[in-house]
Amino acid sequence: MKIKHILLLIFAMFFSCSDDDSDEYQNIPIEFNVPSNFPALAYNLETNPLTEKGFELGKKLFYDGRLASDGVVSCGFCHIQEDAFTHHGHTFSHGVGESIGTRNTPSIQNLAFQTTFMWDGATNHLDLQPIIPLTSPIEMDGNFENIISMMKNDSSYKKLFKQAFSNGEINAENMLKALGQFMVMATSSNSRFDKYRRNENGGTLSTNELEGYAIFNQKCASCHATDIFTDNSFRNNGLPVNPALNDVGRYRVTELSEDLYKFKVPSLRNIEKTAPYMHDGRFYTLDAVLEHYNNGVVNSETLDSTLNSNSTLGIPLTNNEKTKIIAFLKTLTDNQYLTDKRFSEF
Amino acid sequence: MKLQLKKYVAVIAMALAFVSCSSDDDTTTTGEGNLKLEFDNIYKTADLAFNTAYTNSNGEVVKINKAKYIVSNIVLTKADGSTYSVPKSESYFIVDEEVTSSTLINLPNIPAGNYTKVKFGIGVDQAQFNLGADGQGNFFTLAQTAGMMWSWSAGYKFVALEGTFTSSSATDSMFMVHTGKTGTDYNYTEVTVDLPDNALVRTTITPQIHIMADVSQLIDGTNKISFNDGAMVMGGNKLAQITANISNMFEVHHVHND
Repeated sequence: MKIKHILLLIFAMFFSCSDDDSDEYQNIPIEFNVPSNFPALAYNLETNPLTEKGFELGKKLFYDGRLASDGVVSCGFCHIQEDAFTHHGHTFSHGVGESIGTRNTPSIQNLAFQTTFMWDGATNHLDLQPIIPLTSPIEMDGNFENIISMMKNDSSYKKLFKQAFSNGEINAENMLKALGQFMVMATSSNSRFDKYRRNENGGTLSTNELEGYAIFNQKCASCHATDIFTDNSFRNNGLPVNPALNDVGRYRVTELSEDLYKFKVPSLRNIEKTAPYMHDGRFYTLDAVLEHYNNGVVNSETLDSTLNSNSTLGIPLTNNEKTKIIAFLKTLTDNQYLTDKRFSEF
Repeated sequence: MKLQLKKYVAVIAMALAFVSCSSDDDTTTTGEGNLKLEFDNIYKTADLAFNTAYTNSNGEVVKINKAKYIVSNIVLTKADGSTYSVPKSESYFIVDEEVTSSTLINLPNIPAGNYTKVKFGIGVDQAQFNLGADGQGNFFTLAQTAGMMWSWSAGYKFVALEGTFTSSSATDSMFMVHTGKTGTDYNYTEVTVDLPDNALVRTTITPQIHIMADVSQLIDGTNKISFNDGAMVMGGNKLAQITANISNMFEVHHVHND
């Protein structure tokens, strides 16, 4: 009797495992719900439908150091979840061979709602974005041919590609699609601010925070627009040019003089966790950021017109206003996202 | 009765007409065959040779040591005006002067017929970029291996022409021309070439279309590119000028039908 039960149990175990061991394509769709306070999706899900196995493959790729030439520097090396996928405390990140970049690691969240990527907008499709850090000699220095060959010799990749894509092929297209699925899923929409916007439980903002939100709407939201907090534009926000870097920003992509020193307006979500700030990580605190807008903006040919109105440079902010704006910005911290096991390395 | 006979004659005549028409359509033009496109790189009137001095019309002397371009979106036009498009995802190729095999592109599964024109793109088109990874297959891998990935912008180099130049103020200085999608422009272009003789694709005949690709046209064509005022051409309006020059770069010399 007992033996029979044990046999049954073993039998059941085989069944429960069989799905995952199968080499068959597993079309288990993931439904993507756009939060009601968000703008429309920019990403076209039709060309890359989300599936459980596609997402799982994307996550595995995101955390796999073998994509890099040194076998160590994965995407997740510089994009750490608890810091909203930035590189905690690093002004610049170090890639393979201790190479140092020249721009601050941007956060990863709600990218499916954005139309341009990288500080200079070097690409406008989320699927293709990973190519840049993956192949950059100072970041991952990865080589697609080596990566494909590594995956073709790895049993878990062999299985996952078959499960994730109907043609089952281990190639650049499917690899980039899987990474795309992981990034599309990385949605931060459950901060206290979001709950406030959707009138949900836990969505209470203090008087200070609400006043901060009002000041923000008046003085910051023309660029940090919508509940994604970026209008996807490129602007020169009046940072003095660091001569050691002379980062020309958007000009690199367009070679138009009007784009000199312009950088993408970043989202402000989880900003409490993403210090240091600006494209070159020059400010360590939110107070320093706001003080720049209050008193640090320098004029130049391409300075954004909104920062030079009525012959006043920058955005005048009192200390009281700054305190309230920072209180508001901290309501954008989404602990559910920062600890969501679906996106965690371990 | 006579009238009826006339009717019969008319009907038979019409039937014959139809039959004779249909026999114009060669009964052997069914099924599928292969078609080969040969890209024979030249510099003006000579076969392209690396590290050989060529004098451009602006007086600059160039020596080429790299000549590569992406050929895509191949469309074939039949004598009757109908077209056959090679499936997009199977229609991306890198022609590399250094890799002899890459200069001969084999197109399988082409419907049998008499073809009069070939259209192809140089580069990767905007519609493909808008699809992201979809439809790219393994082309990014091939491109990176061939040095044709424009990795900093997550795209491709559509044309890579490199070498050295000598001008009034430079001697054997390096130059590089890389075209591709920029923040302002896709720099993709399509070229249509007429065939001097029809390419007769049959199950038993693989025509080979011998295309002369005059790479001098890229820099010394309608738009003259001077390396003296900027030898690293990878952006700005020079890319648009080079892309415009591509329309005069290709010409079909002859077609082999065997």
